Amino acid sequence: MAGNVVTPHFLRRRVVLTVASNLVRYLFGGAARNWARNVGSTGPALVSMTVLLIMSGLVGLTGFTLHNLEEIEAGQASLLHVYLRDDADGSDLFALETRLASDPRVDSVTYVSKEEALARAQRMPGLPQLADATESNPFPASLDVHVKTIDDMAAIDALVRYESVVDPAYPTSYDRGAYQRIQVVLFGIAVAGFAFIGMLGFVAVAVTMNSIKAAIHARRDEIAIMQLVGAPRWMVRGPFVVEGAITGAVAGAAAGLITFGLAMAAVASGSGSLMQFAPGITATVAALAAAIVLLAGTGLGSGSSLLSLRRHMES
Amino acid sequence: MRPIVEVRPIVEAAAVSRSYGSRLAVDDIHFALRPGELTFLVGPSGAGKTTLLRLINREVRPTAGEMWVAGIAAHLLKPSRIAELRRRVGVVFQDYKLLPRLTAIENVAFALQVADLRLSDEQARERSLDALEAVGLGDRGNAFPHQLSGGQQQRVAIARAVVAQPPVLIADEPTGNLDQDTAWEIMDLFEDIAAWGTAVLVATHNVEIVTRLNRRVLTLVQGRLVRDQPAGQTGRMAWLATS
Repeated sequence: MAGNVVTPHFLRRRVVLTVASNLVRYLFGGAARNWARNVGSTGPALVSMTVLLIMSGLVGLTGFTLHNLEEIEAGQASLLHVYLRDDADGSDLFALETRLASDPRVDSVTYVSKEEALARAQRMPGLPQLADATESNPFPASLDVHVKTIDDMAAIDALVRYESVVDPAYPTSYDRGAYQRIQVVLFGIAVAGFAFIGMLGFVAVAVTMNSIKAAIHARRDEIAIMQLVGAPRWMVRGPFVVEGAITGAVAGAAAGLITFGLAMAAVASGSGSLMQFAPGITATVAALAAAIVLLAGTGLGSGSSLLSLRRHMES
Repeated sequence: MRPIVEVRPIVEAAAVSRSYGSRLAVDDIHFALRPGELTFLVGPSGAGKTTLLRLINREVRPTAGEMWVAGIAAHLLKPSRIAELRRRVGVVFQDYKLLPRLTAIENVAFALQVADLRLSDEQARERSLDALEAVGLGDRGNAFPHQLSGGQQQRVAIARAVVAQPPVLIADEPTGNLDQDTAWEIMDLFEDIAAWGTAVLVATHNVEIVTRLNRRVLTLVQGRLVRDQPAGQTGRMAWLATS
């Protein structure tokens, strides 16, 4: 009698579970056992990777701070103070304000009276003494012009500089090249940071590759037997990649904790003043940096292992 | 009259050569192995026996010619697909190559499971025990390699090589480290394995075994196949098996 053989669902599920359990055992269980057994030989890789990741975390947080500072500076740089004569004619002033407000390159124009300028100066560090040094108000009234892009600052400055209502001695706050100088300095710091991280990264990758090479050498018989009995390539290589990833993850976890601790200690000790010099650094940002460091460590470890396998393991 | 049935070869070498630099290790070899055939590969040291076995297992690639193993073109095989071929070829070595920190049964099961992840521990253990019983070591499954004699370790290696039931078995000097009595026991196993349909190719220097078993003999000298002696005609060339 003819009939169809039906594979029951539970059998299929059992095969899937068996494959999953074997995979976990060979890839992760084996890698964890070997990692624990070879922890002595992976020590140098672990230390160098931890140092690299701590430095990366700190450089990353510094970069974040500099980025915030740059944004603050960019906001300041796009604000042009047009200082007005004390005897400026009201209708001329109104005409200039209207002309500026209708200029497509200008975002907004705000009139600041002498009294408001004095009040503002008294809130800024160092200026209250200057404000109190004389009985009369030394601060001029101004038009605060927010320019849409920094590149148009020079053109707006040229437009207003020789107006009759503008103070001929000190017409505007425009300082040609000030923002560009800040950008050059920040760019230099970023390049130096990346070069430093690149150099440390190279050292960490080289040391990790060597530790994996040593692990391959120590287990060459096992590898040869696996290859001879027909184990697929990923099964032979997988445990080494996982082993590298464990090294990276342990280094990343240690470095992440240290980075988080240092950032929180800095926030706690610097309190208010830190926020001026390192704006944007909060507990959330520090935790995020720690998580990125952990992920980077895991990626670095497994990536270095892969490179080492490609170079040192025969097919 | 019984019809003549042509059995297709399971291993076929056509004009196979392999060189290492300027040295030609195997030179223009032609031969075929059929299922159920036990064949000896003899010749002096450096004749190319090990290279020929490594060509079958695709540990090395031919520099010229074609090598077909169980329907797979080994000479064209990409590195990523070599594992497929090796699952069809069992291998036995002179130095056994057992993993020292695994027991006998774990060594056999390891080979079975790395080649087929669908096998559960129980299934792998059951089949490994069957293989160990077949080689006479059913009661030593929990022993570690260092607790076994050389002959017993070689039996474990044979169990490991055949547990996945490959159509081809190659053995490189499998009795090289064993005394004569143990060597005969190992050869009995190879005969049994061949009787169940596996093509078995044994590289050996053991003259007595080659002459007394009276099986097909391939003789290599300086990389060339100088003689392909059919079963039953091995007596006169035994001297070639000495190194």
